[in-house]
Amino acid sequence: MQRDLRPQPIKTASTPETGYFSAWVFALCLIVGMALGIGFTRVYGPWQRGNAEPWQLRPEERDHYMMAIALEYSHSGDTAKALDKLIALRPGGDPLAQLAEAACALGSRGYLGSESGIRALRSAVALYTAQGRAGCAEQLLPPLATEAAAEVQLAQPPETQRSTPLPTKRPLQEALPATPTPRYRPALPAPRNFEVLSVRSFCDLTRPALIEVFVVDYLGRGIPGQRIRARWGDREDIFVSGLKAERGDAYADFQMEENIDYSIDMAGADDALGTRLSTDTCYTENRRSLKSYRVTFVER
Amino acid sequence: MRVIRSIFFGLLLGAIVGLYFGWGQFPAESRNSNLSDLARPFRDDYIVMAAAGYAADGDLDGAIQRLSRLGIDDAPSAIREITERIILNSARGLADIRLLVNLADELGQLTQPMRPFLDASRGRE
Repeated sequence: MQRDLRPQPIKTASTPETGYFSAWVFALCLIVGMALGIGFTRVYGPWQRGNAEPWQLRPEERDHYMMAIALEYSHSGDTAKALDKLIALRPGGDPLAQLAEAACALGSRGYLGSESGIRALRSAVALYTAQGRAGCAEQLLPPLATEAAAEVQLAQPPETQRSTPLPTKRPLQEALPATPTPRYRPALPAPRNFEVLSVRSFCDLTRPALIEVFVVDYLGRGIPGQRIRARWGDREDIFVSGLKAERGDAYADFQMEENIDYSIDMAGADDALGTRLSTDTCYTENRRSLKSYRVTFVER
Repeated sequence: MRVIRSIFFGLLLGAIVGLYFGWGQFPAESRNSNLSDLARPFRDDYIVMAAAGYAADGDLDGAIQRLSRLGIDDAPSAIREITERIILNSARGLADIRLLVNLADELGQLTQPMRPFLDASRGRE
């Protein structure tokens, strides 16, 4: 019996195609596609365009929105309402200072080219100067007719004033009339009354499940030392405004726990918060957090 | 061929998933919106503020200019529709409705539902 001594044929290394997809190419492209898709949504913005809130406005539009608030204020004179709307823009600082900045920016951008713009800017200036703020818009505005007339009058005093100059020094007895020395009487502090200006929820990764309380006077200035009470179940806790210096005199906060309803009230605020506050899951920057609240008490 | 097929379907499916999560599940909180993008209650609020501005300064051109920022081209018709909707739905307070009606009247758009709210001090019917 003879054996076949011929060399065996060499088997080729090529492997037949075993599937419809190449798994690793598919997986890689899937990841790249997801990244592109998510990136596109971040650049393009939200799908639903007509669903924005005022705080989502871009800076220039926000400035115009503030001017509308100021115009409404010029009609109603309702400072609290105007402040509420300014705060709703989430200014990240003093809302009236932001209004002053917006007025300044618009005034520098040719907003004063029309009578309408001048009136709107005057309204804004009236609103924030009445609350003790200042900006550059006051200097940009043209003087009112009455102001201009007053300036002319000051520049040219009447003839009678110029012809009869006043004595430069008055007699001592006339200059210092005898007046009774006022006696110091310690005054009792007047009771302060407050009302809830706004209650808003927000979602923040760094401040989860927090009740932030701001106590301000009618000019929007912080009031330190106000005792705020949080109640839940049969328990309660007191926290005080102004203890966190880095957050300002108005600020106080309280840490919530999940699945508990809290009520907030404060001495002098007879219309305590009607709704109960409770925290829940919320999402921001694509991450999970717990809902927080911002409550503003304003002095009446 | 299967590599090209994998690239195509991988990118397509990935993009769909990315768009779904980016728009549906975790939408971006854009701070780049226009006034015309405002949700209806805030649009109404802005329109009322423009009407209040008109009530304060009597500047009709200024009011129309402010409304145009909402993407409203035909301000008179838009004010009529919005005012009627707000009246029918009782969507705003009486003071706001009066401001809107007065602006609509000034734009020549006073309709029957608006008449009861027209400010009597303006000396019109």
